[in-house]
Amino acid sequence: MTASQASEPAGAATPATREMADDPDTTGDEDVLLSVRNVAKHFPIREGVMQRVTGQVRAVDGVSFDLRRGTTLGLVGESGCGKTTLGRVVAGLETPTSGGVYLHDSTGHSPAGLGSVSIDRLQGRAARYFRRNCQMVFQDSFSSLNPRHLVRDIVGRPLKVHKEASGTELTERVVELLEQVGLGRQHLYRFPHQFSGGQRQRISIARALALDPEMIVLDEPTSALDVSVQAQILNLLHRLQTERGLTYLFITHDLAVVRHMASEIVVMYLGRVAEAGPTEALFADPIHPYTRALLRSSPDVAGAGDATMQGLEGNVPDPARPPMGCRFHTRCEVATPACGWEIDDVINRLEDVPGMFDELVGVERRSRFDADLVFDDDTSAHRLADALEGAEVPVSMTAAIETVSVRERAVSIRFREVPEVTLTVRGGGRRAACVLED
Amino acid sequence: MTSFVPVEEPIPRPPDDLEALLPTSAARVRARRGAELARSILSNPTTVAGLVLVLALMAMALLAPVITEPNSPDPAQMPRDWGAIAVPPGSPDHILGTTNTGGDVFYGVVWGSRTSLRLSILVVSITVTVGVIVGSVAGFVGGRVDEVLMRIVDVFLSIPELIFALAIAAVLGPAFRNIILALAVVFWVKYARIMRGQVITVKQNDYVDAARVIGDSPVRIFAKDVLPNAITPVVVQATMDMGNIVLIGATLSFIGLAEAGLAEWGVLVAEGQAGISSGRWWASTFPGLMVFLWALGFNLVGDGMRDVLDPRTEKAR
Amino acid sequence: MRGHDTVISVQDLKVHFQAKAGVVEAVDGVSFDVREGETLGLVGETGCGKSVTARSFLGLVPSPPALPPQGSIRFRHRGEGSVVDLLRLDAADMGRIRGNQIAMIFQDPGKALNPALTVRDQLGEVFAIHRSAEVLEGAGVGPDDHDFADHLIRRAARLRSRLLERLLLALPPWRSRRANLHAATDDLVVKALAETQIPNPANILGRYPHELSGGMKQRVMIAQALACNPDVLIADEPTTALDVTVQARIVQLIADLQDRHDTSVLYISHDLSLVRRICDRIAVMYAGRIVEIGPAEEVFNHPKHPYTRGLLAAIPSMASEKGELEAIEGTVPELIDPDPGCRFVDRCPHASDMCRADDPSLGAVAPDHAVSCFGYHPIGGSELTAPSVIGEDGHSE
Repeated sequence: MTASQASEPAGAATPATREMADDPDTTGDEDVLLSVRNVAKHFPIREGVMQRVTGQVRAVDGVSFDLRRGTTLGLVGESGCGKTTLGRVVAGLETPTSGGVYLHDSTGHSPAGLGSVSIDRLQGRAARYFRRNCQMVFQDSFSSLNPRHLVRDIVGRPLKVHKEASGTELTERVVELLEQVGLGRQHLYRFPHQFSGGQRQRISIARALALDPEMIVLDEPTSALDVSVQAQILNLLHRLQTERGLTYLFITHDLAVVRHMASEIVVMYLGRVAEAGPTEALFADPIHPYTRALLRSSPDVAGAGDATMQGLEGNVPDPARPPMGCRFHTRCEVATPACGWEIDDVINRLEDVPGMFDELVGVERRSRFDADLVFDDDTSAHRLADALEGAEVPVSMTAAIETVSVRERAVSIRFREVPEVTLTVRGGGRRAACVLED
Repeated sequence: MTSFVPVEEPIPRPPDDLEALLPTSAARVRARRGAELARSILSNPTTVAGLVLVLALMAMALLAPVITEPNSPDPAQMPRDWGAIAVPPGSPDHILGTTNTGGDVFYGVVWGSRTSLRLSILVVSITVTVGVIVGSVAGFVGGRVDEVLMRIVDVFLSIPELIFALAIAAVLGPAFRNIILALAVVFWVKYARIMRGQVITVKQNDYVDAARVIGDSPVRIFAKDVLPNAITPVVVQATMDMGNIVLIGATLSFIGLAEAGLAEWGVLVAEGQAGISSGRWWASTFPGLMVFLWALGFNLVGDGMRDVLDPRTEKAR
Repeated sequence: MRGHDTVISVQDLKVHFQAKAGVVEAVDGVSFDVREGETLGLVGETGCGKSVTARSFLGLVPSPPALPPQGSIRFRHRGEGSVVDLLRLDAADMGRIRGNQIAMIFQDPGKALNPALTVRDQLGEVFAIHRSAEVLEGAGVGPDDHDFADHLIRRAARLRSRLLERLLLALPPWRSRRANLHAATDDLVVKALAETQIPNPANILGRYPHELSGGMKQRVMIAQALACNPDVLIADEPTTALDVTVQARIVQLIADLQDRHDTSVLYISHDLSLVRRICDRIAVMYAGRIVEIGPAEEVFNHPKHPYTRGLLAAIPSMASEKGELEAIEGTVPELIDPDPGCRFVDRCPHASDMCRADDPSLGAVAPDHAVSCFGYHPIGGSELTAPSVIGEDGHSE
């Protein structure tokens, strides 16, 4: 079992958790608009005719952060890290498996204590409050606008749903909104397909603004756009934030964009927060090795032309069976024996060595750190035992082995048991989930 | 004027002065788009041919009492002229000749279109309604409900259409009403399947999520976002089935599952079949030709609609 | 500095498309050279014609709707030294060049690889078509071996076996020869995959494309493209669909392989930050034309064309100030029967009447650095000298 989330009762009076409570900067802060507390979203894997649940994809697995009023928080990470799922949970499109999303009004208490209730099932006042104040802009502006609706109907729909306006008044409100995003009255009666990608994204933004929300979840809003159009949209978002005091949750994979837009950044890896902190500090001096890998892989237009881009070895592990300890340890260049080396790593690291596991007949696990690997002959068993000390595995992995013994055809391996590596406070409002000190 | 310039695929922009003259109310924009659609449907000559055929056949069905005097007491039964048996076409009383039993082929052809229209409209409206409801519920609600409904659909699909309809009609006894019932029982599954697939595809569009974020209710999201974007293939299929159902209906009545002597094309073909070997071709040929024309007409129209209405080609225009 | 021998010379290439509303001038008078061993970046935004340009190298632009291309793309065979015009080749000759001398990798390896073939078959096909001699050598069939079995194997190596021959090869006397042939192919495939740093390539021979990750698929495609040691590799946005950490490795891989085999690379991308890192020279395209071409560092440090400047200013950078980005206002012009003159004129802060009337051609502003802008090359008069219109370091005055 992974060290678990949801030890806190959902909807507790104070949303602070152990993790966040350590950080005086972010608890009981009146400036906080949105609190995400221990949010997990697991998707069941179903198999067979009976559709039995055989596992859980842990898309988001215990994430907490605060979003301050009028600021932009950047949520970054690579595909499959859970950033989009988390954005959908915040926008109320997915029910969190555990944990909660709390939207606070200016007095600091949460009128829409979401707990783990889907936004579809939110009732009455709380639902209306949440919907009015948390909107979303999607990446694909083709797909996010109904092709059969006119711009007036698309942008005016929130007003209609919340019975704010109708008829001529609605039209005038829509014109106002269109003008705010750089479009105009002449665009009212057109269909989405008559616009370019940038213009369609402006229409999406106008729709999100219609209810005058406190915050907007921006899910890769410019990733499908050309750079010159991206600049227009980023400028627009920036201007709207200044004018209306909007709060953004900005989800993106583009580090240059997020650095430009966000004052705080949360870096996600495999469903968890790897590192979080103020943008400048995080970019100037990344703590987590994953953040460092991301930064040195991202080409920067102002950077030197001959700087090398290194990238990362290996693949992202299976989110249905995330690694123990620190989830990044399987690809980390500075991994230590305390990072959570486990039996799975033995197999993953050595499966590319020809013939290593050809004679393997079974694995008897006592825990994820402790197992017997049974072979068909004792040569193979000895070969594996030797390999565990060899150059094919990282030194830190070898060092993490407490005992390894060969009994006839079985290799018994026990790794040091390590708890899950959690976020720790690093000063300057920074948090990182790494066993290494700064 | 900077709008109207999709970067990927430049489309022609009407001159600015024309744009200024155009009406700017939603209804008129919609009407203009409808007219555009109609124009592009009608720009295909084969579609127009199909449409003409369909309209002519429908006119014939509606005007049947005007074209020929209705038989009394039951106009759906063929009149029998026992004094003119197996008269060849061209005789003044019987333009298309008569059958072995003195049935007037012309009367059968004309009133048969009425029977066919009734058959196709009834079957298509019942099956489309049931199919769309079942498919929508399965696709939109998903989960267990979907599982259960789709297993039921699978059971229906595992039996060949014609044989299934034949079995039902045979059990219920020879009557045209039972043919309608049998076809309705068999055909709804097709629409349920099409609709479910469509709903699941459309549901994945971000505009459905966008509507949820706004706070719109599931019922309205279904009505405004899902249904209009999902229904097109059903409409096309229904148009084609208007023709196909008559074909199958005629087949069933041909093998004797309708009342004897009914003014219906399949019955008439069956009646004339015995005479073909002795050179009396007319009693079977004319109603057979009608079935062919009916099926052809609706299939041509359906094809033309698909080319224009297909959401993929529609977006590109 | 790499060698300056030209491998491909594009002269006044025009690719137009017939649309309902008129002729779309997607590529309109593009000229540039690809030099031996260099990486040339072809950059621009959606619809600027960069992909169409690259695809016309290999005759991959579907026609119709494309009209017959005009101009010339002259390709110099590295081995033979002969020169051919790629636009005028017949299908058979193009087939020989495609894959052999000029190879291409695409943005979406999932679509470019055949989903029904294993990695072994995918790459084996390339060897069978282009390098059957080596396969046969590995299988122990020399050029002088001419008995019946050799004949069978030779046909099998080229994937030309008929049904009867296949049946014969399954029979005991020839079965071992066929096994040798397969082993020889596998050897070559494994070698090609190993070049792309796939760990233990023998493991993935039997896998299908859908069983591989995006980065792995891209590596298989690169192995396939480079199997024949081509003179030129055309890379059409090969890393756009990949994560940055994977992109970094793929880009590095292409650079390493290029160094080892002295291949010229034409790298098509919309990502200027990436192109800056990997290209020797850069050609910037806008609305079907090249507006600026020059050494990468020159273009990035001293951009001349107003479009290039606008583009560079529009990209958020790790080093840039927060706040407003300098966006290029307006949208890309329609390419259906466009007006004469510079195509950037409607969005250009320095546009003059001359820019509307006439079409600026590429002219040198520095050694090896050319720009198509009247700000630098006024026709007829000298009243518009460069500094008066556009300042030296990227700011208008």
